[in-house]
Amino acid sequence: MSIENVNLPDIGEGVTEGEMVSWLVAVGDSVEVDQPVAEIMTDKATVEVPSPIAGTVKELLVSEGDVVPIETAMLKVDTAGASASAAAAPKTAPAEPVANEPVAAAAPTPAANVASTSTIQPPVASSKVLATPSTRRLARELNIDINNIPGSGLAGRVTRDDVLSKSNGAGAVSAGTPMMKMPEIKVPQFNGSATGGEERVPLRGIRRKIAQQMQMTKQVVPHFTLMDEANVTELYKTRKKVKEIGASYGVKVTYLPFIMKALIATMREFPMFNASIDDNAEEIVYKKYFNIGFAADTPQGLLVPVVKNADQKTILQLAQEITELSNKARDGKLALDEMKGACITITNIGSVGGTYATPIINHPEVAIVGVYKMVDKPVFMDGKFKAAKVMNYTVTADHRLIDGAVAANFLNAFFKRIENPSHLLLDMI
Amino acid sequence: MANKYDVCVIGAGPGGYVAAIRSAQLGFKTAIIEREALGGVCLNVGCIPSKAMITAAHFLHKAQHEAPKMGINISGIDLDMGKLVDWKQSVCDRMSKGVEQLLKGNKATIISGEATFKNQTTLSVKSSKGTEEVTADKFIIATGSRPIEIPGFKIDENEVCSSTGALAMTELPKKVVVIGGGYIGLEISSYLAKLGSEVEILEASDALLTGVADKDCVQVVARKLKKLGVKVNFNTFAKKYVKKGKSFEITAEVKGKETVFAADKILLTVGRKPNSDQMGLDKIGIELDQHGFIKVDPQMKTNLANIYAIGDIAGQPMLAHKASHEGVLVAEVLAGQNRVYDAKTVPAVIFTDPEIASAGMLESECKEQGYTDLKIAKFPFAANGRAVSMMEPDGFVKMIADKKTNVLLGVHIVGPEASNLISEAALAIEMGARLEDLALTIHPHPTLGETMMEAAEATLGHAIHMIQKPLKSKSNGGPTAHV
Repeated sequence: MSIENVNLPDIGEGVTEGEMVSWLVAVGDSVEVDQPVAEIMTDKATVEVPSPIAGTVKELLVSEGDVVPIETAMLKVDTAGASASAAAAPKTAPAEPVANEPVAAAAPTPAANVASTSTIQPPVASSKVLATPSTRRLARELNIDINNIPGSGLAGRVTRDDVLSKSNGAGAVSAGTPMMKMPEIKVPQFNGSATGGEERVPLRGIRRKIAQQMQMTKQVVPHFTLMDEANVTELYKTRKKVKEIGASYGVKVTYLPFIMKALIATMREFPMFNASIDDNAEEIVYKKYFNIGFAADTPQGLLVPVVKNADQKTILQLAQEITELSNKARDGKLALDEMKGACITITNIGSVGGTYATPIINHPEVAIVGVYKMVDKPVFMDGKFKAAKVMNYTVTADHRLIDGAVAANFLNAFFKRIENPSHLLLDMI
Repeated sequence: MANKYDVCVIGAGPGGYVAAIRSAQLGFKTAIIEREALGGVCLNVGCIPSKAMITAAHFLHKAQHEAPKMGINISGIDLDMGKLVDWKQSVCDRMSKGVEQLLKGNKATIISGEATFKNQTTLSVKSSKGTEEVTADKFIIATGSRPIEIPGFKIDENEVCSSTGALAMTELPKKVVVIGGGYIGLEISSYLAKLGSEVEILEASDALLTGVADKDCVQVVARKLKKLGVKVNFNTFAKKYVKKGKSFEITAEVKGKETVFAADKILLTVGRKPNSDQMGLDKIGIELDQHGFIKVDPQMKTNLANIYAIGDIAGQPMLAHKASHEGVLVAEVLAGQNRVYDAKTVPAVIFTDPEIASAGMLESECKEQGYTDLKIAKFPFAANGRAVSMMEPDGFVKMIADKKTNVLLGVHIVGPEASNLISEAALAIEMGARLEDLALTIHPHPTLGETMMEAAEATLGHAIHMIQKPLKSKSNGGPTAHV
């Protein structure tokens, strides 16, 4: 009889802990190699943890709801009696990532991760860069091109601190404390009804993560929301044409790619909308890249997939990527990386209902743009009423950085583009 | 399907076995295939055995020529070449066994046999036991290089030897002709001369170690070769040889004229070429460069997404330690770590007498990189107490720095233990050190290492144990640039 521990593997992508959502096995169950044994929730993605060994489950060492650091023993497995063939049973599906893709990347079964490495091509320090090997590696690991960091040390040496401060500047905003000290808030006791009629469900997984994020943001960020109505008749016409062209490419072109393009052009005009506040450093971080998040309602809850470098993509490419990301979000297959690094978020709650909303910013972003239902309305123009396509928009901003008038100008500049899609041609790169 | 692996390494030299160990450490199911002995050329017929022979020859030479000067008279010195070769072999076997233990201890599967790609994901491995198939998600090609031949000279390791045959000789040849004055030729020439062979080198160019070593360094070695009785013929192109009784006549062209050299052993050391014409690499479409090296990106990936290449087969410099560095790198890349080949320097060592070692750039390379103003100085081992007390006063440490910033760009050492001294220089260059960093680091006395500190001081213009021009300023200890 040989009892071995199964540890929570290193899930990669900087994740250090996960929350145990549910056990997929019970004591006495027999497990095969690579059989999922638990669901672990990390930073908005729920992943399945496979067992690296075969045998019989002897003991479960963590409880549902526990927050488990990586490399912590999760369960004990008796490997005696597990047939050799079961132990060697190969799992050959790394090409088709399943919901537990990030976990498959972990140490015991690294095969899946192999496929994902092909895109990493970090920069090599040029011969002129003065930095120690460990500093050069640190820069790579933070995805920073060390060749572009002006060194603060003697003879232009790039120090570890230079790299770290550049890293903060590049949008990897620390989770630090807000610049204003918050009073400790005492959460009042919830008293259940004495007569029953209630059901208690543990706050777990993505729901808990959403709860924490929203509570933190509302506490840290002073929100304000501006609302206005845009006449999008032209956009409606343009999109109708483009939709047919897109269809010939097999791509469903929605309004979202247009909204993204208009938003990016407007953000270029108003850089404070493409920024973050680094509370720890008391610095404003201006971003030179354009990653656009969009809220997706999924069976698991609210997820925000991110279109990376959206400024460098065509409307057709954006449309395609949005479709792909939405499908992944719906199927719970989004990788952590696909939900990270957004500069601003678009929420189209309006497609479900409501005329206006006051969304919560996706911290550390400083604004969120709300998009609402398109309706036919009479609009009084040139002395008479005309039928028009009208859409409501909101911009919710972080008042620490963005003042009301600036937000109003931002919305106007955005409308200039969204009401007249030809304007987007001028912004095209 | 037992032969399915996450990572399969082909070739167990200093690149391959390191890649396999790191892969296994990172949790990959790893296999490593070797057609000859674990450790590859380096451990079995290259670096390690040649160092054993060089050490023995150096020892013999010292006993014969230097010990008497120290008052030690040894009579009846006798060389048992058979026993020497046995000892050398025991060194190799011990190291190779060590590699085997490390691989097994890390749970990498060792497969003996010759691997050929059937397709991009499957190898067929032929051994005495038959043929088996091995499949893997990722392959790491680390199959190294082999000696180049020239027309008229086919390596049979008997009449014409590569380094492999030379190291295996159980009888010391009386007269050896070495074709090629590169580092392998010079290392073997020096030890054979010390053991008692008459050695003649035929070099096609007009200098030894062309392009690989600092010219001033080479001069010191050339002088010592002459002292050892090694004759060097430049501009000499070996054309053919014929057997005359037990010995050979080598015909070479020297400035248009034919010259004949006699020898009873011929060594061919004109360079090495990558083994990229093997394993069916052409069949699966691996791209090579014009020199036959596999083309790789800074993460050692070939044009095929699941195949990586490291070491000699992946490009110059063909050095074991570069291969090992790449071995670690590639395994970590496969594990999704953010890695890239980003070394500033691959130090090089040549075990001539005295040894030559270098890190960083040659003077000419500094100029090519746009460093127009350089500070260059040498510090001689003759001014170092330890070197003199070892009766090894030949040679120097030469440093090259950027004049504006004093940042160290290149270090070239010729002298005792140059091979062991160069690591400090490599570290200094990787760290972006300035001359002051070396000069201000206290180096223990009495050691050869002091020459590094002194050379840095000399390059700054004020070495202690060497007469240099007077200091310009009394107050701050010299003309130190503060940038």
